[in-house]
Amino acid sequence: MSIDDERDLYERLDGAVEAITPRPAPVDGVMRHGRVIRWRRRAIAVAGLAVVAAGAVAVPSLRHAATQHQPATSHYTATVQAPGPHSPAGLIASGTVNGQHWALTAGRPGAGGAGRGQQFVIASGPAFGPDGMTNSATAFAAPTTEPVSLTGIVCGPSQAAYGPVAADVSYITVRLGNGIVLTLHPVRVYGVRLVGFAIPVGAPVVSATAYSARGEIATAIPFRDGGTSSFVTWLRPGQPGLARASGLVGSGSYLGKAWSVRAYLGPWGACLAGQAGGEAVGSSCEEVASVSRNGTGMWLWTGGGPALAMGSAGPSVARIAVTSPDGKTTQVHPVAVGSARFFAFAFGPGPKHWKWTAYDGSGHAITSGDVVPS
Amino acid sequence: MSEALDAEFREFMHGRWPAMVRLAYALTGDQGHAEDVAQAAFARAYASWPKVRRTGNPEAYVRRIVVNENRNRFRKQRVAERLTDTPPEPGSGAGTGPGADATGQYDERSALMAALRRLGPRQRAVVVLRYWLGLTEAEAAAELNCSVGTVKSQASRALATLRQSAELVDGGSP
Repeated sequence: MSIDDERDLYERLDGAVEAITPRPAPVDGVMRHGRVIRWRRRAIAVAGLAVVAAGAVAVPSLRHAATQHQPATSHYTATVQAPGPHSPAGLIASGTVNGQHWALTAGRPGAGGAGRGQQFVIASGPAFGPDGMTNSATAFAAPTTEPVSLTGIVCGPSQAAYGPVAADVSYITVRLGNGIVLTLHPVRVYGVRLVGFAIPVGAPVVSATAYSARGEIATAIPFRDGGTSSFVTWLRPGQPGLARASGLVGSGSYLGKAWSVRAYLGPWGACLAGQAGGEAVGSSCEEVASVSRNGTGMWLWTGGGPALAMGSAGPSVARIAVTSPDGKTTQVHPVAVGSARFFAFAFGPGPKHWKWTAYDGSGHAITSGDVVPS
Repeated sequence: MSEALDAEFREFMHGRWPAMVRLAYALTGDQGHAEDVAQAAFARAYASWPKVRRTGNPEAYVRRIVVNENRNRFRKQRVAERLTDTPPEPGSGAGTGPGADATGQYDERSALMAALRRLGPRQRAVVVLRYWLGLTEAEAAAELNCSVGTVKSQASRALATLRQSAELVDGGSP
Protein backbone atom coordinates (compact mmCIF):
# COMPACT_ATOMS: atom_id res chain seq x y z
CA MET A 1 0.00 0.00 0.00
CA SER A 2 1.32 3.40 -0.88
CA ILE A 3 2.17 5.93 1.75
CA ASP A 4 -0.71 8.06 0.55
CA ASP A 5 -3.19 5.26 1.24
CA GLU A 6 -1.81 4.67 4.72
CA ARG A 7 -2.00 8.37 5.44
CA ASP A 8 -5.55 8.47 4.16
CA LEU A 9 -6.51 5.54 6.39
CA TYR A 10 -4.91 7.20 9.41
CA GLU A 11 -6.70 10.48 8.78
CA ARG A 12 -10.07 8.77 8.29
CA LEU A 13 -9.60 6.67 11.42
CA ASP A 14 -8.42 9.63 13.43
CA GLY A 15 -11.30 11.75 12.24
CA ALA A 16 -13.82 9.05 13.08
CA VAL A 17 -12.63 8.29 16.59
CA GLU A 18 -11.83 11.86 17.54
CA ALA A 19 -15.39 12.83 16.65
CA ILE A 20 -16.88 10.88 19.52
CA THR A 21 -17.18 12.45 22.93
CA PRO A 22 -16.81 9.93 25.74
CA ARG A 23 -18.93 10.44 28.81
CA PRO A 24 -17.10 11.60 31.94
CA ALA A 25 -14.78 8.95 33.32
CA PRO A 26 -16.81 6.72 35.70
CA VAL A 27 -13.97 6.50 38.18
CA ASP A 28 -16.05 5.68 41.26
CA GLY A 29 -17.85 2.85 39.48
CA VAL A 30 -14.61 1.49 38.10
CA MET A 31 -13.01 1.46 41.53
CA ARG A 32 -16.05 -0.32 42.99
CA HIS A 33 -15.84 -2.92 40.26
CA GLY A 34 -12.12 -3.25 40.79
CA ARG A 35 -12.68 -3.95 44.49
CA VAL A 36 -15.12 -6.72 43.53
CA ILE A 37 -12.50 -8.25 41.27
CA ARG A 38 -9.98 -8.05 44.08
CA TRP A 39 -12.48 -9.62 46.48
CA ARG A 40 -13.20 -12.39 44.02
CA ARG A 41 -9.53 -13.27 43.72
CA ARG A 42 -9.20 -13.39 47.49
CA ALA A 43 -12.34 -15.53 47.78
CA ILE A 44 -10.98 -18.01 45.26
CA ALA A 45 -7.61 -18.17 46.99
CA VAL A 46 -8.87 -18.38 50.56
CA ALA A 47 -11.79 -20.74 49.99
CA GLY A 48 -9.50 -23.26 48.36
CA LEU A 49 -11.76 -24.13 45.50
CA ALA A 50 -11.26 -27.47 43.79
CA VAL A 51 -9.93 -25.81 40.64
CA VAL A 52 -7.21 -23.99 42.58
CA ALA A 53 -6.29 -27.22 44.33
CA ALA A 54 -5.95 -28.80 40.91
CA GLY A 55 -3.39 -26.20 39.95
CA ALA A 56 -5.56 -24.16 37.64
CA VAL A 57 -4.73 -20.48 37.27
CA ALA A 58 -7.41 -18.25 38.68
CA VAL A 59 -5.58 -14.92 38.57
CA PRO A 60 -5.80 -12.92 35.35
CA SER A 61 -2.69 -12.95 33.22
CA LEU A 62 -1.42 -9.78 31.59
CA ARG A 63 -0.57 -11.46 28.33
CA HIS A 64 -3.27 -14.06 27.86
CA ALA A 65 -4.34 -14.58 24.29
CA ALA A 66 -7.82 -13.65 23.25
CA THR A 67 -10.08 -16.63 23.78
CA GLN A 68 -11.25 -18.25 20.61
CA HIS A 69 -14.60 -19.95 20.80
CA GLN A 70 -14.54 -23.10 18.76
CA PRO A 71 -17.96 -24.34 17.73
CA ALA A 72 -18.65 -27.56 19.58
CA THR A 73 -19.03 -30.70 17.50
CA SER A 74 -20.33 -33.95 18.95
CA HIS A 75 -16.83 -34.58 20.31
CA TYR A 76 -17.04 -32.75 23.59
CA THR A 77 -17.32 -33.82 27.19
CA ALA A 78 -18.98 -32.30 30.20
CA THR A 79 -19.30 -33.41 33.78
CA VAL A 80 -20.88 -31.97 36.87
CA GLN A 81 -20.75 -32.84 40.52
CA ALA A 82 -22.52 -31.45 43.50
CA PRO A 83 -20.46 -30.15 46.39
CA GLY A 84 -19.40 -32.67 49.00
CA PRO A 85 -19.35 -32.26 52.76
CA HIS A 86 -15.88 -30.72 52.69
CA SER A 87 -16.39 -28.40 49.73
CA PRO A 88 -15.68 -24.69 50.10
CA ALA A 89 -18.46 -22.46 51.31
CA GLY A 90 -20.68 -21.15 48.56
CA LEU A 91 -19.81 -23.81 45.97
CA ILE A 92 -22.87 -24.46 43.80
CA ALA A 93 -21.38 -27.06 41.49
CA SER A 94 -18.14 -28.00 39.78
CA GLY A 95 -17.05 -30.26 37.00
CA THR A 96 -15.19 -30.37 33.74
CA VAL A 97 -15.72 -29.16 30.18
CA ASN A 98 -13.53 -30.98 27.68
CA GLY A 99 -11.35 -32.07 30.56
CA GLN A 100 -10.88 -28.58 32.00
CA HIS A 101 -12.14 -27.80 35.47
CA TRP A 102 -14.81 -25.25 36.33
CA ALA A 103 -16.63 -24.13 39.42
CA LEU A 104 -19.65 -21.96 40.14
CA THR A 105 -19.48 -20.30 43.54
CA ALA A 106 -21.92 -17.96 45.23
CA GLY A 107 -20.60 -15.23 47.45
CA ARG A 108 -22.02 -14.62 50.87
CA PRO A 109 -25.15 -12.44 50.68
CA GLY A 110 -24.16 -8.78 50.88
CA ALA A 111 -20.44 -9.50 50.57
CA GLY A 112 -18.05 -7.91 48.12
CA GLY A 113 -20.20 -4.89 47.49
CA ALA A 114 -23.38 -6.80 46.72
CA GLY A 115 -26.60 -5.21 47.91
CA ARG A 116 -28.54 -6.44 50.90
CA GLY A 117 -29.66 -10.01 50.28
CA GLN A 118 -27.85 -10.17 46.95
CA GLN A 119 -24.98 -12.41 46.00
CA PHE A 120 -22.32 -12.43 43.33
CA VAL A 121 -21.75 -15.69 41.48
CA ILE A 122 -18.21 -16.47 40.37
CA ALA A 123 -17.41 -18.66 37.40
CA SER A 124 -13.84 -19.89 37.78
CA GLY A 125 -11.53 -22.50 36.38
CA PRO A 126 -9.72 -22.97 33.07
CA ALA A 127 -12.95 -24.10 31.41
CA PHE A 128 -14.09 -20.49 31.68
CA GLY A 129 -10.90 -19.05 30.28
CA PRO A 130 -7.99 -17.48 32.15
CA ASP A 131 -10.04 -14.84 33.94
CA GLY A 132 -13.41 -16.38 34.68
CA MET A 133 -16.10 -13.88 35.51
CA THR A 134 -18.16 -12.49 38.32
CA ASN A 135 -21.79 -12.17 37.46
CA SER A 136 -24.07 -9.34 38.52
CA ALA A 137 -25.36 -9.59 42.07
CA THR A 138 -28.66 -11.48 42.38
CA ALA A 139 -31.12 -12.10 45.15
CA PHE A 140 -31.89 -15.81 44.94
CA ALA A 141 -35.35 -17.05 45.85
CA ALA A 142 -37.01 -20.39 45.27
CA PRO A 143 -39.25 -20.13 42.18
CA THR A 144 -42.96 -20.67 42.59
CA THR A 145 -44.23 -21.18 39.04
CA GLU A 146 -41.39 -23.22 37.55
CA PRO A 147 -39.16 -25.93 38.95
CA VAL A 148 -35.95 -23.95 38.47
CA SER A 149 -35.07 -20.39 37.48
CA LEU A 150 -31.85 -20.56 35.49
CA THR A 151 -29.51 -17.69 34.72
CA GLY A 152 -27.16 -18.22 31.82
CA ILE A 153 -23.66 -16.88 31.31
CA VAL A 154 -21.02 -17.26 28.64
CA CYS A 155 -17.40 -17.07 29.73
CA GLY A 156 -14.46 -18.06 27.60
CA PRO A 157 -15.17 -21.25 25.68
CA SER A 158 -17.92 -22.38 28.05
CA GLN A 159 -21.48 -21.51 28.87
CA ALA A 160 -23.06 -22.14 32.21
CA ALA A 161 -26.44 -21.95 33.87
CA TYR A 162 -27.30 -21.78 37.53
CA GLY A 163 -30.21 -20.87 39.71
CA PRO A 164 -32.59 -21.68 42.56
CA VAL A 165 -34.92 -24.66 42.48
CA ALA A 166 -38.40 -25.12 43.83
CA ALA A 167 -38.83 -26.88 47.14
CA ASP A 168 -40.06 -30.16 45.62
CA VAL A 169 -37.20 -30.59 43.12
CA SER A 170 -35.04 -33.62 43.90
CA TYR A 171 -32.81 -33.47 40.87
CA ILE A 172 -32.65 -32.16 37.28
CA THR A 173 -31.32 -33.96 34.22
CA VAL A 174 -29.83 -32.01 31.31
CA ARG A 175 -29.59 -33.94 28.06
CA LEU A 176 -26.96 -32.78 25.57
CA GLY A 177 -26.95 -33.27 21.83
CA ASN A 178 -24.23 -35.93 21.88
CA GLY A 179 -26.07 -38.09 24.39
CA ILE A 180 -24.41 -36.91 27.57
CA VAL A 181 -26.86 -36.57 30.45
CA LEU A 182 -25.87 -34.31 33.31
CA THR A 183 -27.63 -34.89 36.62
CA LEU A 184 -27.88 -31.81 38.81
CA HIS A 185 -28.44 -32.25 42.53
CA PRO A 186 -29.57 -29.13 44.37
CA VAL A 187 -27.34 -27.92 47.16
CA ARG A 188 -28.27 -25.46 49.88
CA VAL A 189 -26.05 -22.39 49.56
CA TYR A 190 -26.56 -19.67 52.15
CA GLY A 191 -30.10 -20.89 52.72
CA VAL A 192 -31.23 -21.31 49.08
CA ARG A 193 -31.18 -24.56 47.09
CA LEU A 194 -29.21 -24.03 43.89
CA VAL A 195 -28.09 -26.04 40.88
CA GLY A 196 -25.53 -25.27 38.20
CA PHE A 197 -23.77 -26.77 35.24
CA ALA A 198 -21.37 -25.83 32.46
CA ILE A 199 -20.94 -27.06 28.88
CA PRO A 200 -19.02 -25.85 25.83
CA VAL A 201 -20.39 -22.90 23.88
CA GLY A 202 -22.14 -24.38 20.89
CA ALA A 203 -22.98 -27.66 22.58
CA PRO A 204 -26.70 -28.20 22.00
CA VAL A 205 -28.92 -28.85 24.97
CA VAL A 206 -31.80 -31.07 23.91
CA SER A 207 -33.86 -30.81 27.07
CA ALA A 208 -33.82 -30.38 30.82
CA THR A 209 -36.19 -32.30 33.10
CA ALA A 210 -36.91 -31.61 36.76
CA TYR A 211 -37.91 -34.46 39.05
CA SER A 212 -39.46 -34.63 42.49
CA ALA A 213 -39.55 -37.67 44.76
CA ARG A 214 -42.75 -38.69 42.94
CA GLY A 215 -41.44 -38.39 39.40
CA GLU A 216 -41.22 -35.87 36.56
CA ILE A 217 -42.29 -32.31 37.35
CA ALA A 218 -41.67 -30.57 34.06
CA THR A 219 -39.41 -30.49 31.01
CA ALA A 220 -37.90 -27.51 29.21
CA ILE A 221 -36.81 -27.47 25.58
CA PRO A 222 -34.33 -24.59 25.40
CA PHE A 223 -34.18 -21.88 22.79
CA ARG A 224 -30.78 -22.02 21.13
CA ASP A 225 -29.30 -18.75 19.91
CA GLY A 226 -25.70 -18.07 19.05
CA GLY A 227 -24.41 -21.32 20.53
CA THR A 228 -26.12 -20.82 23.87
CA SER A 229 -29.31 -22.23 25.36
CA SER A 230 -32.07 -20.40 27.23
CA PHE A 231 -34.57 -22.22 29.42
CA VAL A 232 -37.79 -20.25 29.36
CA THR A 233 -40.82 -22.53 29.38
CA TRP A 234 -41.23 -25.58 31.58
CA LEU A 235 -43.91 -27.94 30.29
CA ARG A 236 -45.75 -30.24 32.66
CA PRO A 237 -46.20 -33.86 31.52
CA GLY A 238 -48.75 -33.88 28.72
CA GLN A 239 -48.73 -30.08 28.33
CA PRO A 240 -48.36 -29.15 24.67
CA GLY A 241 -45.90 -26.46 23.81
CA LEU A 242 -46.33 -23.84 21.12
CA ALA A 243 -46.30 -25.17 17.57
CA ARG A 244 -43.02 -24.39 15.89
CA ALA A 245 -43.02 -21.33 13.67
CA SER A 246 -40.59 -18.61 12.74
CA GLY A 247 -40.72 -15.44 10.72
CA LEU A 248 -39.43 -11.96 10.12
CA VAL A 249 -41.06 -9.43 12.43
CA GLY A 250 -39.41 -6.28 11.19
CA SER A 251 -36.42 -5.00 9.32
CA GLY A 252 -35.01 -1.90 7.78
CA SER A 253 -32.16 0.53 7.73
CA TYR A 254 -31.70 3.00 10.55
CA LEU A 255 -28.96 5.62 10.54
CA GLY A 256 -27.19 3.63 7.87
CA LYS A 257 -27.29 0.31 9.70
CA ALA A 258 -29.37 -2.64 8.66
CA TRP A 259 -31.45 -4.23 11.38
CA SER A 260 -33.87 -7.11 11.62
CA VAL A 261 -35.88 -8.99 14.19
CA ARG A 262 -37.11 -12.56 13.82
CA ALA A 263 -39.54 -14.50 15.97
CA TYR A 264 -39.10 -18.15 16.85
CA LEU A 265 -41.99 -20.06 18.41
CA GLY A 266 -41.80 -23.58 19.74
CA PRO A 267 -41.83 -25.60 22.93
CA TRP A 268 -39.41 -23.08 24.42
CA GLY A 269 -42.03 -20.36 24.18
CA ALA A 270 -41.71 -17.33 21.96
CA CYS A 271 -38.34 -15.72 21.34
CA LEU A 272 -37.37 -12.62 19.43
CA ALA A 273 -33.83 -12.31 18.13
CA GLY A 274 -32.48 -9.06 16.79
CA GLN A 275 -29.58 -8.09 14.57
CA ALA A 276 -28.24 -4.60 13.99
CA GLY A 277 -25.29 -3.45 11.99
CA GLY A 278 -24.52 -7.02 10.97
CA GLU A 279 -24.16 -8.26 14.52
CA ALA A 280 -26.52 -10.17 16.76
CA VAL A 281 -28.00 -7.81 19.35
CA GLY A 282 -29.48 -10.50 21.51
CA SER A 283 -32.66 -12.44 22.07
CA SER A 284 -35.49 -12.33 24.54
CA CYS A 285 -38.06 -14.98 25.23
CA GLU A 286 -41.46 -15.32 26.83
CA GLU A 287 -42.95 -18.48 28.20
CA VAL A 288 -45.95 -20.08 26.55
CA ALA A 289 -48.50 -18.78 29.04
CA SER A 290 -47.34 -15.18 28.60
CA VAL A 291 -47.62 -15.31 24.82
CA SER A 292 -51.20 -16.48 24.95
CA ARG A 293 -52.23 -13.66 27.27
CA ASN A 294 -54.37 -10.97 25.76
CA GLY A 295 -51.93 -8.16 26.17
CA THR A 296 -49.00 -6.37 24.69
CA GLY A 297 -45.51 -6.62 26.05
CA MET A 298 -42.23 -5.19 24.92
CA TRP A 299 -38.58 -6.00 25.20
CA LEU A 300 -35.73 -3.62 24.64
CA TRP A 301 -32.24 -4.25 23.40
CA THR A 302 -30.19 -1.12 23.65
CA GLY A 303 -26.69 -2.55 23.72
CA GLY A 304 -26.13 -2.55 20.01
CA GLY A 305 -26.54 0.18 17.47
CA PRO A 306 -29.26 1.08 16.67
CA ALA A 307 -31.37 0.32 19.71
CA LEU A 308 -34.15 -2.15 18.98
CA ALA A 309 -37.55 -2.40 20.59
CA MET A 310 -39.52 -5.57 20.01
CA GLY A 311 -42.43 -7.30 21.59
CA SER A 312 -45.67 -9.21 21.38
CA ALA A 313 -48.94 -7.55 20.40
CA GLY A 314 -52.38 -8.54 21.60
CA PRO A 315 -55.00 -9.52 19.02
CA SER A 316 -56.74 -6.13 19.12
CA VAL A 317 -53.62 -4.11 18.31
CA ALA A 318 -53.84 -2.76 14.77
CA ARG A 319 -50.88 -0.42 14.80
CA ILE A 320 -48.28 1.10 17.08
CA ALA A 321 -47.40 4.75 16.71
CA VAL A 322 -43.80 5.51 17.64
CA THR A 323 -43.02 9.16 18.32
CA SER A 324 -39.46 10.43 18.40
CA PRO A 325 -38.28 13.20 20.76
CA ASP A 326 -38.58 15.71 17.91
CA GLY A 327 -42.22 14.79 17.38
CA LYS A 328 -41.93 12.67 14.24
CA THR A 329 -44.27 9.65 14.25
CA THR A 330 -43.77 6.33 12.52
CA GLN A 331 -46.45 3.64 12.28
CA VAL A 332 -45.42 0.07 13.07
CA HIS A 333 -47.74 -2.83 12.27
CA PRO A 334 -47.73 -6.15 14.13
CA VAL A 335 -46.75 -9.24 12.16
CA ALA A 336 -48.29 -12.65 12.75
CA VAL A 337 -45.87 -15.49 13.33
CA GLY A 338 -47.50 -18.78 14.16
CA SER A 339 -50.10 -18.26 16.86
CA ALA A 340 -48.77 -14.90 18.05
CA ARG A 341 -48.23 -11.37 16.79
CA PHE A 342 -45.08 -9.35 17.16
CA PHE A 343 -43.68 -5.96 16.31
CA ALA A 344 -40.26 -4.35 16.19
CA PHE A 345 -38.73 -0.99 15.45
CA ALA A 346 -35.37 0.72 15.61
CA PHE A 347 -34.90 3.95 17.49
CA GLY A 348 -32.35 6.24 19.09
CA PRO A 349 -29.75 7.51 19.66
CA GLY A 350 -30.48 8.69 23.16
CA PRO A 351 -30.85 10.01 25.73
CA LYS A 352 -34.36 11.40 25.26
CA HIS A 353 -37.46 9.26 25.60
CA TRP A 354 -39.39 7.94 22.63
CA LYS A 355 -43.10 7.41 23.16
CA TRP A 356 -45.23 4.68 21.70
CA THR A 357 -48.93 3.93 21.71
CA ALA A 358 -50.82 0.84 20.58
CA TYR A 359 -54.12 1.50 18.78
CA ASP A 360 -56.97 -0.83 17.87
CA GLY A 361 -58.65 -0.94 14.49
CA SER A 362 -61.00 1.89 15.44
CA GLY A 363 -58.18 4.24 16.31
CA HIS A 364 -58.64 3.94 20.06
CA ALA A 365 -55.48 3.91 22.12
CA ILE A 366 -55.09 0.64 24.00
CA THR A 367 -51.87 1.09 25.90
CA SER A 368 -48.64 3.00 25.74
CA GLY A 369 -45.16 3.46 27.11
CA ASP A 370 -41.78 5.08 26.78
CA VAL A 371 -38.55 3.65 25.49
CA VAL A 372 -35.12 5.15 26.12
CA PRO A 373 -31.99 4.30 24.15
CA SER A 374 -29.01 3.63 26.38
CA MET B 1 -5.23 0.23 49.13
CA SER B 2 -3.88 3.54 50.41
CA GLU B 3 -5.51 6.86 49.69
CA ALA B 4 -2.39 7.92 47.84
CA LEU B 5 -2.65 4.99 45.45
CA ASP B 6 -6.35 5.62 44.98
CA ALA B 7 -5.66 9.24 44.14
CA GLU B 8 -2.94 8.17 41.73
CA PHE B 9 -5.34 5.81 39.97
CA ARG B 10 -8.02 8.48 39.76
CA GLU B 11 -5.64 10.85 38.07
CA PHE B 12 -4.49 8.12 35.70
CA MET B 13 -8.00 7.16 34.71
CA HIS B 14 -9.19 10.73 34.24
CA GLY B 15 -6.23 11.34 31.98
CA ARG B 16 -6.43 8.20 29.85
CA TRP B 17 -10.19 7.50 29.75
CA PRO B 18 -10.95 9.41 26.53
CA ALA B 19 -8.09 7.76 24.64
CA MET B 20 -9.09 4.26 25.76
CA VAL B 21 -12.73 4.82 24.85
CA ARG B 22 -11.67 6.04 21.41
CA LEU B 23 -9.41 3.00 21.00
CA ALA B 24 -12.26 0.70 21.98
CA TYR B 25 -14.57 2.61 19.61
CA ALA B 26 -12.14 2.07 16.76
CA LEU B 27 -12.22 -1.64 17.54
CA THR B 28 -15.95 -2.04 18.14
CA GLY B 29 -17.63 0.75 16.16
CA ASP B 30 -20.11 1.32 18.96
CA GLN B 31 -19.60 4.03 21.56
CA GLY B 32 -21.69 2.40 24.25
CA HIS B 33 -19.88 -0.89 23.90
CA ALA B 34 -16.56 0.95 23.74
CA GLU B 35 -17.23 2.64 27.06
CA ASP B 36 -18.15 -0.71 28.61
CA VAL B 37 -14.93 -2.27 27.35
CA ALA B 38 -12.83 0.63 28.56
CA GLN B 39 -14.58 0.61 31.92
CA ALA B 40 -13.89 -3.10 32.40
CA ALA B 41 -10.26 -2.63 31.44
CA PHE B 42 -9.74 0.16 33.95
CA ALA B 43 -11.48 -1.91 36.64
CA ARG B 44 -9.03 -4.73 36.11
CA ALA B 45 -6.17 -2.28 36.22
CA TYR B 46 -7.42 -0.86 39.51
CA ALA B 47 -7.81 -4.36 40.95
CA SER B 48 -4.06 -4.86 40.40
CA TRP B 49 -3.00 -1.23 40.66
CA PRO B 50 0.02 -1.67 42.97
CA LYS B 51 1.47 -4.20 40.50
CA VAL B 52 0.34 -2.37 37.36
CA ARG B 53 1.92 0.94 38.39
CA ARG B 54 5.22 -0.83 39.00
CA THR B 55 5.40 -1.82 35.32
CA GLY B 56 6.12 1.80 34.57
CA ASN B 57 3.59 1.79 31.73
CA PRO B 58 0.07 1.34 33.11
CA GLU B 59 -1.38 2.73 29.89
CA ALA B 60 0.04 -0.23 27.97
CA TYR B 61 -1.56 -2.58 30.52
CA VAL B 62 -4.99 -1.04 30.02
CA ARG B 63 -4.55 -0.87 26.27
CA ARG B 64 -3.74 -4.58 26.07
CA ILE B 65 -6.89 -5.44 28.00
CA VAL B 66 -8.96 -3.23 25.71
CA VAL B 67 -7.47 -4.84 22.62
CA ASN B 68 -7.74 -8.39 23.88
CA GLU B 69 -10.97 -8.06 25.85
CA ASN B 70 -12.91 -11.28 25.93
CA ARG B 71 -16.30 -11.35 24.31
CA ASN B 72 -17.91 -12.54 27.45
CA ARG B 73 -21.47 -11.54 27.61
CA PHE B 74 -24.20 -11.88 30.08
CA ARG B 75 -27.41 -13.02 28.46
CA LYS B 76 -30.64 -11.58 29.59
CA GLN B 77 -33.20 -14.31 29.78
CA ARG B 78 -35.88 -11.74 29.46
CA VAL B 79 -36.09 -7.97 29.61
CA ALA B 80 -39.70 -6.98 29.63
CA GLU B 81 -41.33 -3.59 29.76
CA ARG B 82 -44.85 -3.81 31.07
CA LEU B 83 -47.00 -1.03 29.82
CA THR B 84 -49.15 1.53 31.48
CA ASP B 85 -52.91 1.50 30.95
CA THR B 86 -53.03 5.25 30.43
CA PRO B 87 -52.41 6.27 26.85
CA PRO B 88 -50.65 9.52 26.17
CA GLU B 89 -51.89 12.01 23.61
CA PRO B 90 -52.79 10.24 20.36
CA GLY B 91 -50.04 9.91 17.81
CA SER B 92 -50.17 12.30 14.92
CA GLY B 93 -49.03 12.20 11.37
CA ALA B 94 -49.05 9.49 8.77
CA GLY B 95 -45.56 8.36 9.46
CA THR B 96 -43.38 6.64 6.94
CA GLY B 97 -44.05 2.95 7.53
CA PRO B 98 -42.21 0.34 9.57
CA GLY B 99 -38.45 0.43 9.72
CA ALA B 100 -38.01 3.38 7.45
CA ASP B 101 -34.89 5.51 7.54
CA ALA B 102 -35.15 8.24 10.13
CA THR B 103 -32.63 10.59 8.60
CA GLY B 104 -31.62 9.22 5.22
CA GLN B 105 -28.07 10.25 5.99
CA TYR B 106 -24.97 8.12 5.96
CA ASP B 107 -21.95 9.99 7.24
CA GLU B 108 -18.27 9.42 6.70
CA ARG B 109 -17.78 7.97 10.17
CA SER B 110 -20.50 5.40 9.63
CA ALA B 111 -18.96 4.42 6.29
CA LEU B 112 -15.55 3.81 7.84
CA MET B 113 -16.95 1.92 10.83
CA ALA B 114 -19.11 -0.22 8.56
CA ALA B 115 -16.07 -1.06 6.47
CA LEU B 116 -14.03 -1.91 9.57
CA ARG B 117 -16.79 -4.16 10.88
CA ARG B 118 -16.44 -6.31 7.81
CA LEU B 119 -12.98 -7.22 9.03
CA GLY B 120 -12.42 -10.00 11.51
CA PRO B 121 -11.58 -8.96 15.09
CA ARG B 122 -7.86 -9.69 14.67
CA GLN B 123 -7.62 -7.82 11.37
CA ARG B 124 -9.51 -4.87 12.81
CA ALA B 125 -7.15 -4.75 15.79
CA VAL B 126 -4.13 -4.84 13.49
CA VAL B 127 -5.49 -1.95 11.41
CA VAL B 128 -6.17 0.15 14.50
CA LEU B 129 -2.84 -0.58 16.15
CA ARG B 130 -0.73 -0.18 13.03
CA TYR B 131 -2.44 2.62 11.15
CA TRP B 132 -4.04 4.67 13.89
CA LEU B 133 -1.88 4.20 16.96
CA GLY B 134 1.18 3.91 14.73
CA LEU B 135 2.67 0.88 16.43
CA THR B 136 5.43 -0.99 14.64
CA GLU B 137 4.81 -4.55 13.49
CA ALA B 138 6.79 -5.84 16.46
CA GLU B 139 4.88 -3.65 18.93
CA ALA B 140 1.52 -4.69 17.46
CA ALA B 141 2.56 -8.34 17.64
CA ALA B 142 3.38 -7.91 21.33
CA GLU B 143 0.02 -6.27 21.99
CA LEU B 144 -1.84 -9.07 20.22
CA ASN B 145 0.36 -11.86 21.54
CA CYS B 146 1.08 -13.16 18.06
CA SER B 147 3.99 -13.26 15.65
CA VAL B 148 5.21 -10.41 13.47
CA GLY B 149 4.40 -12.58 10.46
CA THR B 150 0.80 -12.81 11.59
CA VAL B 151 0.60 -9.04 11.94
CA LYS B 152 1.96 -8.63 8.44
CA SER B 153 -0.42 -11.09 6.86
CA GLN B 154 -3.44 -9.79 8.77
CA ALA B 155 -2.59 -6.21 7.80
CA SER B 156 -2.23 -7.17 4.17
CA ARG B 157 -5.58 -8.92 4.08
CA ALA B 158 -7.30 -6.13 5.99
CA LEU B 159 -6.03 -3.44 3.65
CA ALA B 160 -7.06 -5.47 0.61
CA THR B 161 -10.57 -5.79 2.05
CA LEU B 162 -10.80 -2.10 2.90
CA ARG B 163 -9.65 -1.11 -0.60
CA GLN B 164 -12.59 -3.01 -2.04
CA SER B 165 -15.06 -1.86 0.59
CA ALA B 166 -18.13 -0.39 -1.07
CA GLU B 167 -18.64 2.04 1.78
CA LEU B 168 -15.23 3.64 1.28
CA VAL B 169 -15.05 3.35 -2.51
CA ASP B 170 -18.46 4.95 -2.97
CA GLY B 171 -17.67 7.71 -0.50
CA GLY B 172 -20.16 6.54 2.06
CA SER B 173 -23.25 5.79 0.01
CA PRO B 174 -25.37 2.97 1.54
